[in-house]
Amino acid sequence: MNYFFQALADAFSLIVSLDSEVYIIVWTSLKISLVAVFAASLVGIPLGLYTALREFPGKSFVLQMLNTLMALPTVVVGLVLYGVFTRQGPLGGLGMLYTAEVIIVGQCILIIPIIWNLSITAAKAADPRLADTCKALGANTLQQGWIFVGEVRYALMAAMIIGFGRAIGEVGVAMMLGGNIEGFTRTMTTAIALQTSKGEFEFGLALGVLLMTVAFVVNAILQWFQSLNQ
Amino acid sequence: MNYAYHLREIEFAYDATPAITLDEYYIQQQSITALVGANGSGKSTLMNILAFINRPSRGNISFFGEQVRDDDYLSLRRRTAYIQQKPYLLNTTVYRNIELGLKLRAVKKVQRHARVAKVIEQLGLQHLSYRRAHELSGGEAQKVAIARAIVLDPQVLILDEPFSHLDERFRHELEELIGRLNKAGKLTIIFSTHDKLQAQSLADQICSLVDGHVVPNSIINLFPGSVDVENGLFVTENSVIHLPASINSGTRLGIDSTEIVLSRDELKSSMRNRFYGKIKSLHDEAGDIHVIVNAGEKFHAIISKAALDELAVSVGDDVWVSFKSSAVNVYL
Repeated sequence: MNYFFQALADAFSLIVSLDSEVYIIVWTSLKISLVAVFAASLVGIPLGLYTALREFPGKSFVLQMLNTLMALPTVVVGLVLYGVFTRQGPLGGLGMLYTAEVIIVGQCILIIPIIWNLSITAAKAADPRLADTCKALGANTLQQGWIFVGEVRYALMAAMIIGFGRAIGEVGVAMMLGGNIEGFTRTMTTAIALQTSKGEFEFGLALGVLLMTVAFVVNAILQWFQSLNQ
Repeated sequence: MNYAYHLREIEFAYDATPAITLDEYYIQQQSITALVGANGSGKSTLMNILAFINRPSRGNISFFGEQVRDDDYLSLRRRTAYIQQKPYLLNTTVYRNIELGLKLRAVKKVQRHARVAKVIEQLGLQHLSYRRAHELSGGEAQKVAIARAIVLDPQVLILDEPFSHLDERFRHELEELIGRLNKAGKLTIIFSTHDKLQAQSLADQICSLVDGHVVPNSIINLFPGSVDVENGLFVTENSVIHLPASINSGTRLGIDSTEIVLSRDELKSSMRNRFYGKIKSLHDEAGDIHVIVNAGEKFHAIISKAALDELAVSVGDDVWVSFKSSAVNVYL
């Protein structure tokens, strides 16, 4: 018991003393996940709006696939992308393995289905008169999408935040593709795994506390957006 | 004759059930047309077709003399303006709502500003310009939706049940506005309503719909005159008619033909409007008996065959014409 509380006290000491190693890891995590969530939103939101507002062959299959992909295991994404980006893989020539960029690609693949699916929900939850209003005002398909983005903006921001929560907390992609290189690809989750296996429990715990803090802030922002939406 | 719309063999079906079937129908340019019918009669479906929101399942449409093709719909939507029964305003300011359609048409900012300012002034919305649209009352929202539509300078303005959620004051304002836009802007205006009297009062042309088909219009009574607010009366050239307490202005009075009761003797009832007169004509139309009684004004009543048999009257006989003040409507 003493061991745990001692480690917890040391963890807070690391946080309060602004330990540079801890904060570099936090910054790396935030940077990678923020870029991933913006990139995934650029793909997921338009796809979500298109899926919600248009009928096309295979739509029900797409919806079923999206629901399945919402719970895509991170290690599976890591494994497949490792095969793609490793030297012998089809994109091995790009030399992207063990870089922050490839973690971003992996996290994008993880969270695009989430943002896509939640954007469909957001568009469907919009007032049923909105689509006809857009048409009546003479909006083309792109303009209609843009008006929808404006009207369901809070729900879309909530989708982005949920995606961010998934990205910042995942370990499989970051570990398998990033290689846990200090100062470059070491994220909070990979560092926690590494430091704990090395026996530096207090360091892992400090990062765990910061990860929980980020999750808490993210959820607080999410709740705020949801309150605005109501 | 110049037509805004010429519809031929139009059909629109939700799943397999036809919602509207029209053999041929014309709407004149610069006219006011009222689509009249009960809920589910096909008014909204027809409006969606006229506004180019929905495509008919079959049939042809000519719009201002041009045959409509499938790939014309976006450009045609930009020549019409459609206001839904409960218009949806975007979650932003009134000004931005009115400006939106111009932005979608890539109108330059300076021109946008001038056109929006003009319409805001025309409709007296200056005090609402920077209010959030979701804070407006039903009548104010309706006015903003009209501003958002007419700022686009459309050739046709289509309004779905524009009066149904308005109080008396806004209803009169809107009636006046529709007349003004039609005359000044030379706009073709199409609106739907349940109220036949209101349709007759405002429109040049009435399209009565029953179960998705156009049917002949029923006769109604519409008399010009003025309101005597103090005594709650409407004074026509030949009669004085009791009004409901809520009415205090208007220049035309309408009475639904089916609300008029005919009797041989004066009725002892709560009906405050009672006139004695002579039957001028009697004829059968689709199973209903249409009776015209000269009792100061010429009142058109529609009664059943059974009621006529019971009454046992013919042309030239004297009868009492009675109706409640609540059967009366007054229009600007």
